[in-house]
Amino acid sequence: MQKILVWDWPVRLGHWLMVGGFIIAWLTAESETFRLVHAVSGGIVLAVATFRLPWGFIGSRYARFVDFVRGPTALKAYAAGLLKLEPAHHVGHNPAGGWAIILLLGLGILTGLAGWANYNDLGRNWLEELHEGLAATMLTVIIIHLIGVASGSLLHGENLVRTMITGFKSGLPEQAIPSARPIAAALLLIWVAAASWWIAN
Amino acid sequence: MRALTALCLLLTSFASQAETPQQIRQSYASEAAAQQAGFTASAQRGEALFRQRFSNNDKMPSCTSCHTDSPVKPGQHAITGKAVRPLAVSANAERFTDLAKTEKWFGRNCKEVIGRACTPAEKSDFVAYMSEVR
Repeated sequence: MQKILVWDWPVRLGHWLMVGGFIIAWLTAESETFRLVHAVSGGIVLAVATFRLPWGFIGSRYARFVDFVRGPTALKAYAAGLLKLEPAHHVGHNPAGGWAIILLLGLGILTGLAGWANYNDLGRNWLEELHEGLAATMLTVIIIHLIGVASGSLLHGENLVRTMITGFKSGLPEQAIPSARPIAAALLLIWVAAASWWIAN
Repeated sequence: MRALTALCLLLTSFASQAETPQQIRQSYASEAAAQQAGFTASAQRGEALFRQRFSNNDKMPSCTSCHTDSPVKPGQHAITGKAVRPLAVSANAERFTDLAKTEKWFGRNCKEVIGRACTPAEKSDFVAYMSEVR
């Protein structure tokens, strides 16, 4: 086992843009003074999540949905291993991480769309409540995800937060991805910037 | 059939038009009367609160910053420029028909504009003004 490149640039950049966008959107949720900041940061989450969908089909090996979307049986097996303090090591996302991705992408898109509709006064009260309920659900999934990341990091002796920054994880040389896909990352940045600009205007 | 009726009642209770502005005003007035004997809501005091300028937030120093000088007209958000539906009940029948929503927005906006929570007396006066202004 050695350090190999596993996460491409769009995965890492998208992950941290979503983190930043969600934190800012959550902190500005109750403010009219920061309403525009709230809309733009929520828009960043929505833009990253919509970019991630095609990237789940055309991205590098471990970014693809086929690599990590698993059924409830695999999730239960992984959780059981985690509880016995000996979780199975996955080069890419483990089944729990895969579920977190699907849930957070779905919630990021739905929360963003509901928020956009509220911002443009398309909905009534129920849409406001829906937006808040979806965001609170998203926070709940994020907390579970963080607990999973912390316990996975401790049990594997592998700092998963750092792997999401550097892209390097433990694996065999032949399991590495050949390119970090920087051009796609530039496209992601352009897409996010365009979405932010569009919302702000 | 009884299950259906129960379901309908349940759905109606979710459909946010649960109260009237009079009930909401009264609920705040009762709360205020508990602290201050003989309290009755005053639309005049409500209007004064609506127009008062506070020194808490220079981007939105008063209610009128977004809701304009006339509550029967649509407002405009001070930061985003987005339209805000009129506050006055005579211009917007949806206003003050849901106590939870009213509480939520008094909670947010009083804190942000005045810098503190509004008192039940202030809320009662405010709802009185918005119910009567034409």
